[in-house]
Amino acid sequence: MEITYDKNAQEILSTIKSFARKSSLWVIAYGTGCGAIEIPPTMTSRYDAERFGIRGSATPRQADVLLITGYLAVKTLKRVIRTYEQMQDPKYVIAFGSCTINGGMYWDSYNTIKLLDKYIPVDVYINGCMPRPEAVIQGFIKLQELIMNKKAEGAAKYKENLEWYRENQRKIIHNWRMPEYNW
Amino acid sequence: MQNNLELENKIAEKIKIAFQTAEVQVQRKQRIKVNLNEDLVHPFLTFAKNTLSYKHLSHISCVDWIEDNQFELVYILLSYDSLVQIIAKTRINREKAEFPTARNYWPQVETYEREIHELYGINFVGNDHLVDFVLEDWEDLPPMRRDFDTVKYSQEHFFNRPGREDAQDVRKTVTKHSGEELPDLAKIYSVRN
Amino acid sequence: MDSFWMKILGFVITPLVAFAVGVTYGGIVRKITARIQNRVGPPIYQNLLDITKLYSKKTAVNHGVMQHLGPVFAITASVTSLFFVPVLRDSSFWFNLSFDGDLIFLLYMMVFGSLGMALGAGQTGNPNSAIGVSRGLALMVGYEIPFVLSLVALMIQFQTTSIHGLLAVQDTFSSWIIFQSPFATIAGILAFLGMMHYAPFDVPFAPAEVASGPASEFGGKYLALMMTSGSIFTFVKLVLFVNIYFGGAEDLLTLILKTFILYMIPVLTGIVNPRYRTEQAIQFFWKWPTVFGIIAILIVVL
Repeated sequence: MEITYDKNAQEILSTIKSFARKSSLWVIAYGTGCGAIEIPPTMTSRYDAERFGIRGSATPRQADVLLITGYLAVKTLKRVIRTYEQMQDPKYVIAFGSCTINGGMYWDSYNTIKLLDKYIPVDVYINGCMPRPEAVIQGFIKLQELIMNKKAEGAAKYKENLEWYRENQRKIIHNWRMPEYNW
Repeated sequence: MQNNLELENKIAEKIKIAFQTAEVQVQRKQRIKVNLNEDLVHPFLTFAKNTLSYKHLSHISCVDWIEDNQFELVYILLSYDSLVQIIAKTRINREKAEFPTARNYWPQVETYEREIHELYGINFVGNDHLVDFVLEDWEDLPPMRRDFDTVKYSQEHFFNRPGREDAQDVRKTVTKHSGEELPDLAKIYSVRN
Repeated sequence: MDSFWMKILGFVITPLVAFAVGVTYGGIVRKITARIQNRVGPPIYQNLLDITKLYSKKTAVNHGVMQHLGPVFAITASVTSLFFVPVLRDSSFWFNLSFDGDLIFLLYMMVFGSLGMALGAGQTGNPNSAIGVSRGLALMVGYEIPFVLSLVALMIQFQTTSIHGLLAVQDTFSSWIIFQSPFATIAGILAFLGMMHYAPFDVPFAPAEVASGPASEFGGKYLALMMTSGSIFTFVKLVLFVNIYFGGAEDLLTLILKTFILYMIPVLTGIVNPRYRTEQAIQFFWKWPTVFGIIAILIVVL
């Protein structure tokens, strides 16, 4: 049942929601590539991401942001897709390092993907090899801006174009043994 | 100190006496290289383990000699008594790549053999656990074989970011912008264009 | 009629105040932790933002009925125990259901939430939850013994089983139970360290070991409910301990001062300590706190 509010009230409510979402980003601690080494300095004393409300979370169920830190082998991509699908809406993806953008130094590797946004929707790309913690925090602030302007709609895009994403995913994951999640 | 190879020579002598056909060479301090025939590898491994007290197998590696139509298997052994490394090499046929497993001597060999099986396609007879190791559901040629074209494979299977495939030389772009001449020593790296 | 509406108001206000105080304390703790680690730290209203965000998240996880009921049990237990703890000494405004023997009732009620959570977490089928639950229950067995010993000592000494009875004997500063029965207080405070689940007794929720333990399969609104319940329960435990050992409070300012000082004991212990394993924690609780509890009882009886 959908309760219809006054338009202004709806707007205020959604602004409050966006503000809360923006100022409390829980990052799933799933380091995929070499970029995971940049996360500890980002979180600890020197750069202290917690002052922006960015915090690590232990499981995908509690997380808001999936950080793809570097190259993704086909084997890792499988796990990333499963992790992403277990996360609860609203969820965001930040891709990290040149490997996720165009393959980076692994552009000719037989086992790493080159374009992440063909497999899962990416909200913010941070380039660099590797990006320093300042750049990582800059990326998070960009994501916060997108959330505040309601432009971080990656999860909605994924649901809309699920068939297309699945087709791309199945193209490289030959033996498809993945559970279907009920989101 | 550097030239004192007494210990190494002593071990090499013992190997020479036991295996007449083996090429034994003391490469440097703490390293002996042994080239063996295919069928002598297992007698040599037992000999090294039991008689020469080489209790530790560090690694098994593989080299693809596509010109000779051969694979080279490299067993690296270490003794805790003398701290001298033995590198035992052998060549096997590339077409029918099969070799008996060394799992009976060192159980950890299983993992190395799995890796070589996956990346080179060598079948280790007697090792019943040659399942997927790093790659999952691999269907193509084993990727470390030299006749496997990794660029072609990656371009066929993965998406390419537009702008990548023209492979422009960064140095040329930079010189075009700044108006400088490309120095000679940099030109050798721009083979592609 | 007036007093009836005042009662309803008190009924609504009491949990809200408990929640607000608990959440603010949580934020202050995060700030203090950050400052001790030489960080700037989040704003003190960060926990409120977290809870708001979690309530606004969608939740589409289904593992069975108990999984949905687990967080509800937790919050029920927190609010119920809140209604049995007198917030202020002689104030009729704060909603209270105290009766003779509410101390014993509270001992049961405070365990109820954890047991509900254990059932809920058990049904999710996540191995981390199961490990976390078993660790949590083992730890509970550890700290419940000195706590109960301490309370039994007080019950024998003052011949009462209600919190109001204990408050009645602590009229003046010098008659606080911490001065009247120091050994029982030491046992109680040591048990309190374990009860607050700060390090070194945070093994059930260790994020690096068991992925936040019982909560690992709960996201979104469930986690928000659990955090709300946790905030209220923190307030309940603090007020209960202040009432039992430190003479309660006449007004809100005194209450906040006393609870804050009491809260700093586990927090500051936790920041500078690593984590105990489960058996080490139980060993800790069954050694000195238990001995102190037994001494307290012996002093009273002999």
